[in-house]
Amino acid sequence: MIKSNFFLVSSFLIFSMYSFGEIVYQFEDIAQEKRFYSLISEIRCPKCTSGSIASSDAPVSRDLKNKVYDLIIDGSSDDEIKKYVSDRFGNFSDYRPALEGANYILWFGPFIFLSLILIIFFFKRRAE
Amino acid sequence: MNKSLRFLIVLVPIIIFTFFANVLLIEEDEKFSKFNTKNFPSFELNDLNGIPVKYEYLDGIKLVNVWASWCITCLVEHPFLTKLSDANIQIVGLNYKDSNNKASAWLQKHGNPYIFSIYDPRGDLAFDLGVTGAPESYLVIDNQVVAHIQGEMTSKKWETIFYPLIKKASNET
Repeated sequence: MIKSNFFLVSSFLIFSMYSFGEIVYQFEDIAQEKRFYSLISEIRCPKCTSGSIASSDAPVSRDLKNKVYDLIIDGSSDDEIKKYVSDRFGNFSDYRPALEGANYILWFGPFIFLSLILIIFFFKRRAE
Repeated sequence: MNKSLRFLIVLVPIIIFTFFANVLLIEEDEKFSKFNTKNFPSFELNDLNGIPVKYEYLDGIKLVNVWASWCITCLVEHPFLTKLSDANIQIVGLNYKDSNNKASAWLQKHGNPYIFSIYDPRGDLAFDLGVTGAPESYLVIDNQVVAHIQGEMTSKKWETIFYPLIKKASNET
């Protein structure tokens, strides 16, 4: 009696694990796995106000993660994967925008602003 | 305190304020109007009746609308799409992550504004198009995607983004 209950309970436990299991990605080596997790934290979820696809469970983020996984297994490089995503979802998808065009303002704007303030400060003090 | 510094103290906050006001108050529509034209992705899919959809079906001026029977906002924009289709706008449906039966029943119940609907149960074509959910709409002119909006198609979005592009395209031909 106790034994049969034991089997019943343990089978419930086993099957409940299956039904709530997250998708587990299988990689060929650790390097691939590391690349996967760094990439999904650098790709912005297109459905969210702000957040990477790693942090999002939106259907489109799940699709994106699966795609990134497939591309890594197929042997695509990080840049190729990012380009693949931004070709479809726009520059918005990349948390680290490429160094080109209007993005220069994004990258260097703060530094230019900071140096301007320092220059003004410097001249002001010299004037005094 | 010298004069130019006093001037700067007034000017800099004004510049910063206008900059952020500009960024924050940018209209949703305006955000979508900046769109890089791209080719409509290639696909091998059937319509809801199981007939293969050819790439050539997307030449001319087509409004591609992403919809699904589970999508509530699709029902909200449905009357507007019907109005467009009555005005001879050719609307191609992209049935997104749906089941054929439910989709067909939905069209039977609410009416069908689409000339045909591409059946994309796994969302493969939708992914290549950059669909983030339903509803979304694309303006496709001669197999080129020229505009994209997310969310409900409203008369405002139609008139400010899609209609000018259609007018321009029909003047050129």
